[in-house]
Amino acid sequence: MLNDVFTYLVAGKAGEGIKKAGSVAASLFAGMGRRAFQYDDYQSLIRGGHNFSIVSTAMREVGSQYGRAELIVALDARSYEKHRGSLADGGVLVCDPDVISEEGVAPEGTSGTLVTVPLREEAAKYPYPELRVGVAGAAALCAVTGLSPDDLEALIRDEYPRDLENNVAYGRAIYEAIISATDVRFPLERGDDVLPILAGNEAIALGAAAAGLDLYVAYPMTPSSSLLHYLAKHDDALGVTVMHPESEIAVANIAIGAASMGARAMVGSSGGGFALMEEALSFAGMAETPLLCMLSARSGPSTGVPTYTEQADLRFALNQGHGEFSRVVASPGSFSEAYRVTAELMDIAWRFQTVGIVLTEKHLSECSATIDIDIGAAPWPEPKLATGEGYRRYAITDDGVSPMLFPPSEELIKSSSYEHDEYGVTTEDAETITVMHDKRNRKLAAIEKHVRGLSTAVWHGDPDAPLILTYGSTTMSVLEALRAGGLRAAVLQLVYLEPFPVWELEGLRGARPVVVEQSSTGQFEKLLREKAGIEASASVRRYDGRPFDPVELARSLEEVLS
Amino acid sequence: MTKRPASDETKLPLWAGPDDLTTYGENTWCPGCGNFAILNAAKSAIRSLEEEGVGRERVVMTAGIGQHAKIFDYLGLSGIYSLHGRAVAVAQGMKLANPDMKVIAFVGDGDTMGEGLAHLMFAAKRNSDITVVMHDNGVYALTTGQRSPLSPEGYKGPSTPHGNTEPPLNPLVLALEAGATFVARGYSGDISGLAELITDGVRHRGFSFIDVLQPCVTFNNRYSEYNELAKPMTESPLPFDEALALARVRETLPLGVFYRGERGSAEELLARGRNPVVDHGCREDRLAAVRKLLIGSTRPGT
Repeated sequence: MLNDVFTYLVAGKAGEGIKKAGSVAASLFAGMGRRAFQYDDYQSLIRGGHNFSIVSTAMREVGSQYGRAELIVALDARSYEKHRGSLADGGVLVCDPDVISEEGVAPEGTSGTLVTVPLREEAAKYPYPELRVGVAGAAALCAVTGLSPDDLEALIRDEYPRDLENNVAYGRAIYEAIISATDVRFPLERGDDVLPILAGNEAIALGAAAAGLDLYVAYPMTPSSSLLHYLAKHDDALGVTVMHPESEIAVANIAIGAASMGARAMVGSSGGGFALMEEALSFAGMAETPLLCMLSARSGPSTGVPTYTEQADLRFALNQGHGEFSRVVASPGSFSEAYRVTAELMDIAWRFQTVGIVLTEKHLSECSATIDIDIGAAPWPEPKLATGEGYRRYAITDDGVSPMLFPPSEELIKSSSYEHDEYGVTTEDAETITVMHDKRNRKLAAIEKHVRGLSTAVWHGDPDAPLILTYGSTTMSVLEALRAGGLRAAVLQLVYLEPFPVWELEGLRGARPVVVEQSSTGQFEKLLREKAGIEASASVRRYDGRPFDPVELARSLEEVLS
Repeated sequence: MTKRPASDETKLPLWAGPDDLTTYGENTWCPGCGNFAILNAAKSAIRSLEEEGVGRERVVMTAGIGQHAKIFDYLGLSGIYSLHGRAVAVAQGMKLANPDMKVIAFVGDGDTMGEGLAHLMFAAKRNSDITVVMHDNGVYALTTGQRSPLSPEGYKGPSTPHGNTEPPLNPLVLALEAGATFVARGYSGDISGLAELITDGVRHRGFSFIDVLQPCVTFNNRYSEYNELAKPMTESPLPFDEALALARVRETLPLGVFYRGERGSAEELLARGRNPVVDHGCREDRLAAVRKLLIGSTRPGT
């Protein structure tokens, strides 16, 4: 096992419970006190096609799936053909004999072991055989990691309780067949510390909830939908109201209406849906209505490749909306950061009556991992409130922030999308227009002052080694690549992107870093040049919709870091 | 810096203009515009509601963009001045955030039957407990007289110099079919009747849609036509099918409540008794809820 990472890959058709099989593995590893990272590769379809799930586990934090797996379970011919080249040296590939054209052909280019087990024939002995094959994954996993038949039965009892007896009988049969066919074992060490497992979007949901989220409004769009689903499922538990209206345009305007009444509102989407909200973001900017947004990027442009990842929406997030208004953009580089950053942006949105955008990618949104969250790190946003009589919604203040007030009130509270005077009444007066622009712009300085006190960039690795700059979910890939390749590097990860943390980059003008991102044009690299005068010595980019593989990325980094 | 006048001795609020429900905002509607009547009817409705114990602080407003929307600047109600076509969406957010409040969306016919039609249809479909007052002048007045979705065929405006080639939509039929539970037609030439309709609409629990015939003295002056055809309904409200049939009639313009129905509102059904703003809760409770969920999260999707 490379670096003590054990990787399990299970592949088959959509609808066969592939993602579930991956989750079962992640859950098993977490229960053993190990760390796990789960990546689900699926297509934009419901039945058929090809899906796979990769779960990598170690005793230390794992920040990525690994492309080469110690155990592969291929449930159909396509899976076998596609993944037989991904078997790690010494690994085991379990599949049905029917899926192999020539009996006994070893997985390509590896010293691995092929174990053919009649998965489907065995499943056909029970009702609903197509729903049974996922259990084969659990059986193979237990067999190859040296767990006992009783361990397997306990796992099935927890994870596949429907038609339990038949599942157990089927699982045991597959287990026995594998045990007797190979003695390759990967015994996995156990730890004491059992961590929960969370997907990135779930961490974002919990961060928002911890920061007082009252209302989540969204229209389904991959890869943001799981945030909608999670909050809708747990609305009562969290005390959050969730609404799925007719369009993203409705989403953003409903959220703004709600926020104008004092509700901590949040919206979420991916590129196309977020583009539809753009007019409303300017509205929030002018009306100074706090609005928290989650933008989860997928492979674009346009409809693009809906279920795959990319970092091509960086400029989009930074430049959303017509006209000039403040917004804050931050991109989490880990699951726990997703929790913290979301809560921080909710706080900033309400503290400064501005737009906050959590920029993330499919890779973080939909991957899941064992997660160690400091729940108390979430701030509790409390807007500055007005007192006394003669309320002016847009009162001129030193920091540009006008105290808020919400109906019902004896005072008149008028917010507006039009340019307005201090009372919120429409104006075309030249002097007032200037004064109001200046007032809103003063918030930029106030926001920057506040953001400087936050963790706007994070240093990882060896500070004396060559420098890598990255952001977002790619951070996880870079850190895992350094571990996979045993490489020495200093990694500076930018968390906040607007206001751009130039203060974190002071002294780096001549550093000539390697810039790693998932954009074909190098948006992040260009931003570093524009904002901080930093020239990259080399660029490592991937834009085929797939996240970096740590071993491949380590190889690329090794070439450019020396 | 504000241009508002200094406070006087009449004990009106700082922002007030000629009366305690009118701001100091300079009125820029054309003389004779039907919007004045709608503003007066709205003020009258608010006073009626106050007499019933619904204080003006419990009534909030929003508006789209257009000549109609200037009512936001003039009427002494709290709220948010929204975007062209989006007032119905914004109003739903306001109501959902605090279901204890009454929410009125003043919208234009171009505004809400064009840019924002989907919001109107879905607000009716989900029976959002808001009141939509549509200033129906059949024209885009603020942008100098282009045809609206309700302009008749043949209407000539700067974007249709050869005449409008499309038949108008029927707002009452659309609202009824989409599921609105209070559908009415008012006329700016009948202020007291209109005030009553707005009051009724706000009282109604569910989605209220009031189509207000409003002549545009500059671009689409239909006073004489409306004065002749717009007459109070003899029987009101009607059973749904009869209301629909009457809404289809184009030869006369009956005024009053066409239909009134009862079903659960979007906010009651969605929030299930929760008032997001009032029930915001405290940090400790939230963190406890998050902690509980996190601990139970042994796999994604749980």
